[in-house]
Amino acid sequence: MPGTERKYGLGPTRRHALALTALGIASPFVLRDAVAQGKAINVGVIMPLSGANAQFGINSRNGVELVADEINAAGGIKSLGGARINLVVADSTSTPTTAANVAQRLLTQNDVVAILGAFASALTIAISEVTERRGVPLLTMSFSDQITGRGFENIFQVVAKASAIGKAQFDGTVAIAAAAGQKLDKIAIMYEDTAYGTSQAAGLRDGAKAAGVQIVMDEAYPLGITDVTPLINKLRASGAQAVFPVSYLNDSLQIIRAMRQQKIAIPAIGGAAGYVIPDFEKGLGEFSEGVLSISPANYDLAPELTERFRKRYGYFMVHEALEHAVCMDVLAQALEQAKSTKPDDLRKVLHGTRFEGGWTKAMTGGAVQFDKTGLNTLSVPVMVQWRNKELVTVWPSQVAKSKAIWAS
Amino acid sequence: MNTSSTRLVALFALLAIAVVLPFAFDPRGYAIRILCLALLFAAMAQAWNIVAGLANQVSLGHAAFFGIGAYTSTLLLIHFGLSPWLGMIAGAVLGGLAALLISLPTMRLRGHYFALATLAFGEVMRVIANSWGGLTGGPVGISVPFAPPDLAMLQFKETRPYYWLMLAALVLVTTIFLAIKRSRLGYRLRAIKENADAAEVIGVDTTRTKIVAAVISGMITACLGTLYAQFQFFFDPDTVFGVASVSVRMAMIAIVGGIGTAAGPILGAFFVIPLEEFANQIFSAQAAGLSQLVFGLLLIAVILIEPRGFMAIGPRLKRLLAREKADG
Repeated sequence: MPGTERKYGLGPTRRHALALTALGIASPFVLRDAVAQGKAINVGVIMPLSGANAQFGINSRNGVELVADEINAAGGIKSLGGARINLVVADSTSTPTTAANVAQRLLTQNDVVAILGAFASALTIAISEVTERRGVPLLTMSFSDQITGRGFENIFQVVAKASAIGKAQFDGTVAIAAAAGQKLDKIAIMYEDTAYGTSQAAGLRDGAKAAGVQIVMDEAYPLGITDVTPLINKLRASGAQAVFPVSYLNDSLQIIRAMRQQKIAIPAIGGAAGYVIPDFEKGLGEFSEGVLSISPANYDLAPELTERFRKRYGYFMVHEALEHAVCMDVLAQALEQAKSTKPDDLRKVLHGTRFEGGWTKAMTGGAVQFDKTGLNTLSVPVMVQWRNKELVTVWPSQVAKSKAIWAS
Repeated sequence: MNTSSTRLVALFALLAIAVVLPFAFDPRGYAIRILCLALLFAAMAQAWNIVAGLANQVSLGHAAFFGIGAYTSTLLLIHFGLSPWLGMIAGAVLGGLAALLISLPTMRLRGHYFALATLAFGEVMRVIANSWGGLTGGPVGISVPFAPPDLAMLQFKETRPYYWLMLAALVLVTTIFLAIKRSRLGYRLRAIKENADAAEVIGVDTTRTKIVAAVISGMITACLGTLYAQFQFFFDPDTVFGVASVSVRMAMIAIVGGIGTAAGPILGAFFVIPLEEFANQIFSAQAAGLSQLVFGLLLIAVILIEPRGFMAIGPRLKRLLAREKADG
């Protein structure tokens, strides 16, 4: 950067002040990085720590951190001489280009043995284009069908696919309504026009079509919508018996608040993401009570594990944190079994093993097993309901902790 | 005469260094990837510079052409197995048409009004790509199909060939920019920049001139969109039609470097892209979002210190030195 050097040579004091400030901010981190070496296995963690998905990225990072610290406290990877797990955390921001860049950086500069991340499907897919070409495993909890739908060998998806989650969101609702003595014939779908929103809406639509249920409203709206009134008016006019909103946090708050304020009392069944984090309850208060949502996993299925998260971070273990924790644990188990940090050995173990125990118990299948495409075949989505500031699993019945309350 | 031949020698030396530079790096590594992106964004900012720099028509909608290029070549590749080189030509035609289409109503607008109209056009394209799922794959995005490394299919296993491609693109676009700047079109554009009414009075068809420049700029930007798609292998509407990720970034790079100059976008890209990566590398393991904050603060600082970009620093230094000499 010849321009900057010249610039700093002769400037007024403002420049010096700025340069010094930047240096001051940077120095402790640079120094700390230099000290934290030693015998360690580098694991890349790429999350959106800034931008629209920052909250989810931070939750995910916390989950990975918790498990990595536990593993290190318990003596590291034993088959590799007690090697420590060293997390290399990188911010993907919310742009796929940056996500791919940081993936390349972690692979070449930090020699990471695998990468975990990156919550949003678009980011994960961009990263996978890099990891696949380098032959390094990428473990993710992003939902999109595309992730394991491209024939990649180095990608591992610990949760069910978006289409399966969308279908479960519908099937679970029908089951819950039937148990309460109501037959659904008319439903409404509204979703944000992102990868997550559209693919899950497609699953919902398929589920409804298969069950012969009429979709009386099917609306996409832009992420970051500022006025949901037209949507809610349309919902009221549609005569739907239940509504399926699929959205991140801000939109979900607006939709539920507007519905309840207008006294539209039909059940709302959210599509995970914004509906299953503590901020949802914080933002809505009593309006959140009774709201249902699909979720790829829930913390109340394994409280003995997830309470450790609550103790450390002060809020319940949201599903993205939980699933990323599982990714970390599965990777640690694979390292233990492979007795090697070579990506080829790791990939073989990841593909051919049924991972049990540890954090995998928190998943619905109670274990993790990847098929040829890298999809965890044991994971089944669950339906959760807000009850007194907590999320309670209410469907399917074999894992349910409580019976669902239908209609609010 | 003498200085211009020294300049030419220096330029060729610089180019020679740029050509052999990748041999100093890991052929599939991180550094070379960042160099590739810096070259690509330099070329993009240079294309933007043709309209904005020469005629002062600041566009904030160039992502529209970039996205058209990326989608056209990728869709042709997926559905018809067409080589991205041909796809690039198709994309350029569509990009040029789009530029013509948007220029007809907007080129009579000036300043902020023009910027806002183009901004809206970029957003409209993003919304179309998002909602026309049957064609574009919608918000889920599309992946460039995996192909064996082959120049004809514009796909390589290593990053090095991309580097040379991007370098060639930058050299080509810069040459076009310089050629336009020195041509009759360039003089007309600058006449418009100085005073559009005066230009009209002396016989410059201002609207037509601006449209020609916009179409050239749009076609080049579309070609670069294809390059991006083949380099990145995956994109979605928000990435290629994004205001922040493409439109504003193109403008920002040219402005930071020095708008209207040939070297400006290059300096700007080689400052902005590595700076962002550097901020990310150092700060992203710390407090969430800190890296973007630091990046933003540094950019603000640069613009506060020298609003006319790096290219204005040289003359300013000269003046400073001259003054010191006079004082001493």
